[in-house]
Amino acid sequence: MVHNSRSLTKLVGELKKLPGVGEKTALRLAFHLMKSPANVSALAESLLEVRARVRFCSTCFGITENDPCSICTGDRDSSAICVVEESQDLLAIERSGAFHGRYHVLQGALSPLNGVTPAQLRISELMRRIEAGGVREVVLATNFSVEGEATALYLTKLLKPLGIRVTRLAHGIPLGGDLEYIDAATVQRAMEGRSEL
Amino acid sequence: MLGAMDYREADRLVTLFTLEHGKLKGVAAGAKRSVRRFAGVCEPFARLRLQIVLREGLSRLQGADLVTVFPGIRRELVKIAHAGYACELTDQFLPEGVSNPRLFRLLVSYLERLDGASFSASDRRFFEINLLKILGYRPALGQCASCGMELTGEEHYRFSAAAGGLLCSCCGRVGPSVSPQTVALLGRALSSGRFGAVTFQPTSLREAGTLLDEAIAGHLVRPLKSLLFLQELGE
Repeated sequence: MVHNSRSLTKLVGELKKLPGVGEKTALRLAFHLMKSPANVSALAESLLEVRARVRFCSTCFGITENDPCSICTGDRDSSAICVVEESQDLLAIERSGAFHGRYHVLQGALSPLNGVTPAQLRISELMRRIEAGGVREVVLATNFSVEGEATALYLTKLLKPLGIRVTRLAHGIPLGGDLEYIDAATVQRAMEGRSEL
Repeated sequence: MLGAMDYREADRLVTLFTLEHGKLKGVAAGAKRSVRRFAGVCEPFARLRLQIVLREGLSRLQGADLVTVFPGIRRELVKIAHAGYACELTDQFLPEGVSNPRLFRLLVSYLERLDGASFSASDRRFFEINLLKILGYRPALGQCASCGMELTGEEHYRFSAAAGGLLCSCCGRVGPSVSPQTVALLGRALSSGRFGAVTFQPTSLREAGTLLDEAIAGHLVRPLKSLLFLQELGE
């Protein structure tokens, strides 16, 4: 409770709900905003604009302001679809500039321990896109966690019978990585996935 | 590692089953950022050597060395689903802070079996009946759970989770039917002490499955989420 100011207490309470923001950080942010009124208006405007304009693309389920998004309507390779768990993963692959096809965001991953089943993900929408034709390769770019692996295995089971090329992102030693400090499981995977030079 | 979930910005909230201290809940601070301390370790089923500060409530993980992530399990969806089920079942049944080395060894053996051998539905039932035995919930198979009469193993019996076991033909009129062959296989699963020693044929597997599912459900506070996933896979 901030002394003598109910509205400031309320603001701190709202800021605390954000990920990674605790009591002290929330208080610091609140005081910073109070000292710069111009920033407050711009921030409030941005928040409302995002709320009003940003939505999920009805084709790939990535975030967009225009539906369908620019990736789904643009001049990209429509024969390859890269499947990711979340919109942030799509952005990470786009930043790399390594993929020129289209995307499909599952909006989660299968989780045996948390009871997340295929029906709760955008899997049926992915299958409909593939059944519509023209897709020759599906790149499974789910995370390398148990949930991500389970999702990739489940999708492989669905996609293989359709005669589509199903690929998985490579997994191993990071660029600049020192073998001495890499965990055993990663080294094991890297060794299994070694390629000829 | 029985389970892990994201907690705050970069932490993971973990449920551990340790040999020395039983089940513990803890926080791996910075687990999502610190590759050096927690690379690949905060993953369900992983077997670890832990450095942990024990506390009331949430303990604190200082670091962990990976023994194995059971790579063989992570290559097959059905194995992931069963490993998840085994971990959640153990988590649900175990109270916190009570050491249980026999159950620890049973769970590790099951995960090793899933990791190294071809998948067998019999192993799940072997795990379940032995888990119930270790925790003191073993269903009565040798005598009627109602009147105490010795069951000779020459006829079909009925099973009652409420009574805690099989019922003789006088006491049991309803409930799932269990053949003498299934009773004998469950008995062997309890005495053999080794995965792979008992293989249930389809009829026995179905009967043992019904019996054990009911016996387990009777002791649980809430349904298992991983069971939904298994059902989704047709298991």
